[in-house]
Amino acid sequence: MIAPGTAQGVQAGRARTATEAAARVMVPRGLKQLVYDATGIGVAAVMLFPIYWMIITAFKPGRDILTLQPKWFPAPFTLDNFKDAIARPFFLDDVRNSLVIVGVMLALALVIAFLAAVGTARFGFRGRTAFLVMIIGVQMVPLNALIIPLYMLLDSAGQVDALPGVIAIYLAVVLPFMIWTLRGFVANIPVELEEAAMIDGCTRTSAFFRITFPLVGPGLVATAIFGFIQAWNEYIIAYVLLSSPHNQTLTVWLASFTTNHGPEWGPLMAAATLTGLPVVAFFLILQRYLAGGLTAGAVKG
Amino acid sequence: MATAAAAPDLEPASSFLRRRWLSGQLFPYALITPSVAVIAGVLAFPLGMLVWLSLQHYGLRELIAHQGEWVGLGNYQAILADPLFRQVIFRSLAFTFTCVALTILLSTLIALLLLKVRRAVSVVVMSALVFVWATPVIVTVDIWQWMFDYEFGVINYLLTQLHLGNFIHHNWFDNPVQGLGVLVLVVVWGAIPFVTITVFAGLLQVPGELLDAAEVDGAGPWQRFRFVTAPMLKPIFLIVTCLSTIWDFGVFNQIYVLLNQRPSADYYTIAIYSYRESFGVSQYGLGATIAVLMVLVLIVVTLFYVRETVRQAEIA
Amino acid sequence: MMFRKSWVTVVSVAVAVLAAACGGSSGSSNNNSSNQTATLTVWLMNGSAPQSVIDEVNADFKSKYPNVTVNVEIQQWGDIGTKLDTALPGNTPPDVVELGNTLVAKYAAAGALEDITGKKTGFDNSATWLQSLTDSCTQAGKLYCVPYYAGSRAIIYRKDFFASAGVTPPDSMDGLLTVGQKLMDAHKSDPSFSALYYPGKYWYAALPFVWDFGGDIATQSGGKWSGALSSSSSQQGLTTLSNLVSKLSRADKTGDEAKQDAAFAQGHIAMIIANGWEVGVITDPKAGNPALKDQLGAFPIPSHNAGQTAPVFLGGSDLGVASRSKHQDLANAWIATLTGNKHMAEMATVGGVIPNTTSMLSLGTGINSIFFSAAKNSKFVPNSQNWASVENANVLPDMLVKIFTKQMGVADATKSASDRITTILNGGG
Repeated sequence: MIAPGTAQGVQAGRARTATEAAARVMVPRGLKQLVYDATGIGVAAVMLFPIYWMIITAFKPGRDILTLQPKWFPAPFTLDNFKDAIARPFFLDDVRNSLVIVGVMLALALVIAFLAAVGTARFGFRGRTAFLVMIIGVQMVPLNALIIPLYMLLDSAGQVDALPGVIAIYLAVVLPFMIWTLRGFVANIPVELEEAAMIDGCTRTSAFFRITFPLVGPGLVATAIFGFIQAWNEYIIAYVLLSSPHNQTLTVWLASFTTNHGPEWGPLMAAATLTGLPVVAFFLILQRYLAGGLTAGAVKG
Repeated sequence: MATAAAAPDLEPASSFLRRRWLSGQLFPYALITPSVAVIAGVLAFPLGMLVWLSLQHYGLRELIAHQGEWVGLGNYQAILADPLFRQVIFRSLAFTFTCVALTILLSTLIALLLLKVRRAVSVVVMSALVFVWATPVIVTVDIWQWMFDYEFGVINYLLTQLHLGNFIHHNWFDNPVQGLGVLVLVVVWGAIPFVTITVFAGLLQVPGELLDAAEVDGAGPWQRFRFVTAPMLKPIFLIVTCLSTIWDFGVFNQIYVLLNQRPSADYYTIAIYSYRESFGVSQYGLGATIAVLMVLVLIVVTLFYVRETVRQAEIA
Repeated sequence: MMFRKSWVTVVSVAVAVLAAACGGSSGSSNNNSSNQTATLTVWLMNGSAPQSVIDEVNADFKSKYPNVTVNVEIQQWGDIGTKLDTALPGNTPPDVVELGNTLVAKYAAAGALEDITGKKTGFDNSATWLQSLTDSCTQAGKLYCVPYYAGSRAIIYRKDFFASAGVTPPDSMDGLLTVGQKLMDAHKSDPSFSALYYPGKYWYAALPFVWDFGGDIATQSGGKWSGALSSSSSQQGLTTLSNLVSKLSRADKTGDEAKQDAAFAQGHIAMIIANGWEVGVITDPKAGNPALKDQLGAFPIPSHNAGQTAPVFLGGSDLGVASRSKHQDLANAWIATLTGNKHMAEMATVGGVIPNTTSMLSLGTGINSIFFSAAKNSKFVPNSQNWASVENANVLPDMLVKIFTKQMGVADATKSASDRITTILNGGG
């Protein structure tokens, strides 16, 4: 995806030079490197510990979970928690709902955000500043405070307990950040490339779609990851708006593992692991585009 | 649209619009229209409603009847006179400042470290960050709550095993200062991946030649960071600070879940306070008032960052 | 006011558009014949009725109303208030809702539930419903819900621990302390042992102590509530409890009771104050310890007067019909089926919960009989529409935590809680 000679290629090239230069000049091999590496591993270990705890708990049998002396490894090892979690009613329905909601939302969001990103990155127009301020400002409103108004809005539109309503809300919530990130990304691509194409006879629009659009690919990916995580993990709106179990999302399904006598830790951790998997998979597949993506957006503002 | 309305009406509108379109004057508006339509379509009514609610006495009875009682600025007077509100605002600001400062500091350090470690290690660290980022917040807060559990918590066990003191049956939440410390830890932990990955990617774009040149000129590591790297990362730091402030000021799940859905007043932050007034005691008007005030405070706090951020964007 | 009009317009336009678009969805005819067509939505709470009972109820209902589809949607307890607050005012609310009995007053007073006073006699056993549950359904002399089931607390204990420490279930509060201290002595070597495990925020279990000494949460006279936790008898009860907690409990003083069954199953606890159904959680093969089955016993919370028992808090659930429901008659018919003799008996025998009528209290067998009979000496929280706000403002848990952690003395803590309760019950924030 990163074509040499393009903005992305240049960027990646620079990145390599930076690291190599750093490696060449800064680091006398040996002790210093060892200290850096050890610190890095330490950071990873601290960050990962809660996740590790979640995963090993998912593999522990019930009685080994709440013990006064925690067990560091799942021995004995069991898949019962996963079986239990998957066997809960509506698991597959809720997986499907989450996928539909996030999938449709992302597809729409990418198109809409991309258009707005181009509009604000490539054109100066009256109201642009206001638009930019709006997309930052909109993020300041706490979603929890909007529960009742949003419910009323969707209720009057007959979209309570229906996926389209939730999709619309997620779209509006995720769009501002996506526009912002993509905008920086588009701005990063030299406008000269487009102008060259226009000299060769392309219209502005076709120049844009032939030259700029392909270069924004990694940016779209990075933005998509952010949107995916936000929507996939959202809870309160889905909980309030989707009341029938076959319409719910995975995060709401997860909440059903907490009963009035506390969470069922084993199945909950197994379910949480399952819920997290698609995000991690999506992320890992696309991670290589991240470095270019998120930041190019941010660097340009 | 404003442009079109102000135009002289001497030629047929269609050809006028077409000319404008081709010359690119209307085109950008067309590009941002879908996003404005979605954001306004979904959020304009709820936001207006929020402000409207904040001007009314609106309890459950009013909610059922769909009819409130107008009280003008009465809710605002009541909230601003409430000593609890001042405490909550102060606590929220202090909490947000601590979280944002720690997040940016630690994330920058980790990002710088990522440049120094060997490739295998950086892959490991990156994967760790990705895992943390990808796990739903409602799950991670459950895990944290359990890890800090009084009896079965692995943290108490671990600290005791490491001979850092006797933490058996240590209660992390009976003292609010300590409890808020734990919450800062949980929030910062969750915020680090996004900020680190963003800053790291920014660091990759600092030209190596520049750093080399600085080093040749005798600049030490701190000076190179201070005078070469940091200025180049300014836009990133701006947007990241801005967003982190917005997110941390609205922190809800961490506090709500770690304190068993029943945080005591010592743990109220502004978002919890607003939610409590709305859904706890069914004073939706007051809850809306707090939410509006929360946004106003946030605007004041982030004014500088938003202005700078947008200015940077406009330059670009 | 303007808002209301525009709101109604928006709603009606939207509904009209929707109806046109969908070709008129679920029928909303008010005709009462048994072949009417409708979809009935029922919200039951997680863990209330066993699925087998729900299935039978629906089958029975279906035989009477063959063209009515019933959707029973199981809701989770966490944040249920938020969900009810948004759904009940909506255009398509659930027709039947299960409500915790302390929440009913709030929804009834706000007009969210149908007034079913005139239909009361149509429900089985309405003359012998448990008084506390009936009270919870009653606002200003009108009935807003049907009692569903109850829960009352007693002390669950480990027979083997009692035997090895040479003690027997006590019959007074002093006796409880003595027995507890002997158990503590017998398990000196276990730093995690609690003779009576009492998490700090467990306010349901604190009420018997308050009531037993003649105290109360609040009293009402002339339409005004006044908090009564600061009365000397209430303070006496809480001082007794606080003494028990500090001497016998190593539970989290800021924690709640959600974990107590899992903790009990770990084997470092001799007694907990619990509901009857918690026996099942403790001995659950997956998360609990089935081996404890034969070691569990129960006895009522003793009074400070030897030989008597303390009044307990009667928890439970009621079933109400949403005032905005379009199928209120069907909803009532469904409730009547579930709370009818046949299925109520199943709730008691299969579900192990206390049925809604005194006529069935004898159905409790074995360890359950202790809990069933505890229901006979039970009390309830102040029956005010503002009680839910007291609960949601955490007044009682906060007070208990302050007392148990010694951040405040009993006098100061009860005073501030009592003042708070007075304010809230009388309609102030």
